[in-house]
Amino acid sequence: MSLTGGWIEHKVEEGASVLYLTGAWRLAHLAAIADALGSLRLRLQERFILDGSRLTALDTAAGFTLFRYLAGLGCSESMVSTRGFGPHHRQLLGLVHENMRCPPASAHSEHLGLVQRVGAGVIALAGLLRTHNAFLGAVALDTLGLARRPGRLRVRETVSQFEAVGLDAIPIVALVTFLIGVVFAYLLGVQARRYGANIFVVDGVGLAVCRELSPLLAAVIVAGRSGAAFTAQLGTMKVQEEVDAISTLGLSPIHVLVIPRLVAIVVALPLLAFVGDVAGIAGGMLVGAWQLGITPGAFIDRLHATLPVDYLIVGLAKTPVFAAVIALIACRMGLLVARDARSVGVNTTSTVVQSIVWVIVLDAVFAVLFQYLGI
Amino acid sequence: MDAALEIDGIVTRFGAQRVHDGVSFSVRRGEVVALIGGSGTGKSVLLKEIIGLVRPAAGTIRLLGSDVWRSSPEELNALRRRFGMLFQDGALFSSLTVAENIAVPFRENTDLPMDLIAPLVGFKLALVGLAADTGLKMPAQLSGGMRKRVALARALALEPEILFLDEPTSGLDPVGARAFDRLVRVLADSLGLTVFIVTHDLDTLLSIIERAIVLAGGRVIADGSVDALGKSADPWIQEYFSARAPLAGA
Repeated sequence: MSLTGGWIEHKVEEGASVLYLTGAWRLAHLAAIADALGSLRLRLQERFILDGSRLTALDTAAGFTLFRYLAGLGCSESMVSTRGFGPHHRQLLGLVHENMRCPPASAHSEHLGLVQRVGAGVIALAGLLRTHNAFLGAVALDTLGLARRPGRLRVRETVSQFEAVGLDAIPIVALVTFLIGVVFAYLLGVQARRYGANIFVVDGVGLAVCRELSPLLAAVIVAGRSGAAFTAQLGTMKVQEEVDAISTLGLSPIHVLVIPRLVAIVVALPLLAFVGDVAGIAGGMLVGAWQLGITPGAFIDRLHATLPVDYLIVGLAKTPVFAAVIALIACRMGLLVARDARSVGVNTTSTVVQSIVWVIVLDAVFAVLFQYLGI
Repeated sequence: MDAALEIDGIVTRFGAQRVHDGVSFSVRRGEVVALIGGSGTGKSVLLKEIIGLVRPAAGTIRLLGSDVWRSSPEELNALRRRFGMLFQDGALFSSLTVAENIAVPFRENTDLPMDLIAPLVGFKLALVGLAADTGLKMPAQLSGGMRKRVALARALALEPEILFLDEPTSGLDPVGARAFDRLVRVLADSLGLTVFIVTHDLDTLLSIIERAIVLAGGRVIADGSVDALGKSADPWIQEYFSARAPLAGA
């Protein structure tokens, strides 16, 4: 008899190995039972008899572990017999035995190596860009149809999206550009004061805020705020099969869901950028009055003299393009959501990253383009 | 035999609406019982009260000998390890594979090493009639019937004494539903499980239940074997059974 913590007792009776199972063979004690089986050090024999007369409880996990141990020894079905089990335990062992022919399931996700990850990433990206193209085409067709019959635009939905994208974002856009205006004027002022060139701070703030900072910041904020919201909304609708329901009713999801958002954001972003222009210049003005001895009146005069209206227009003209890109990416990623909660999160993240990257890339393209055109 | 579940005088209110108005019944160990009733009769709410998710306004619920709503959080958690719950749509964790889903109860509630858990997970999959390679799939890749089976495997993981099923056959085709019911019955018989089924669809369940409890108007209006219920004089029950009579006759 071996030391097995009292779970199992091994005796040889009439040429057969008899295993007396003892106590409560339950999941709670499974680790101890598995240890006890391991410490038996049995060798493969002609005949095994399982005796259940001392069992107080038995569950499938423990039964499975016992059978798996015997199978691991090399026992075949005909070599094992049972005796002394209660009717319930016998039935349970029968059920376990029927389902024994199962390979272990890996309870871990597969982890890919670096090369596979890069490869899978490239393939996924290529597929994404290809479907982006197809989506762009579908949206363009729908927009064209709308240009021919403008009455088909869903005005109510568009206005409600405009409120969420535009009006609700005014405070945050104004705050951020105001603070950037303050920081920019302050840092510029520190340098300019050394040369007594305080007044040139106005030129710098006006140019930087109107031409670059305000459009870019407004676009980034809208990408983070509304782009993410679009993806999450459409993604959840996709999960709940609302998008399929729209198609089934003979409507185009692009017409119903994408176009209103696209229109709303294309209208809202230039307006937000303009709010940003005003707030940024106000921030510069505050620093000017406070630190550099430029009165608000002098600031406005100087701004009039040195900031051509072209710069303001160039800055604002970029924003509808940014807006369209954000809306297209956000809606596309929303409609690509698979039917699970995880995918909504993944796609929302992807929307924010993609749209911010594209906004900055496009901004660089515009900068070079405008230089060529001499604007 | 002692009672696995005793419900006494349950009252539930949502605002002014009284969902339950003194619901009482009990379920013995080893029984397979269905709670039936029309839509909106508070069947699912009652189930949530039994498993400790929604607090009833009055009444007591004794599950496996302990009072659910007078237990400390630790006692309630210990009790939760002793029953399994199958949610209506499976409620599988969508970011985990099927095998990981089934492994969750083992990992969180036992100190078994991974090399013991992996074969157990494979065995549980086989037990509910799924191939082992299903384990590598994500829940989003499964059909409705497979999701339910995986959810059943997860509910059975910790060898529960009582199993709660919320609309186990909704969303399954009749063949799949019957196969699922048979599976539940076989498991109940061989594991000595108490099974408590909440459903509005009695048709597929007739063959596997021993007793049905009918909930209507916030009260238990009938409680007995399916045959006895068929002879009941209550108008709602009569209508319920006559609504399915043409099907049964066909």
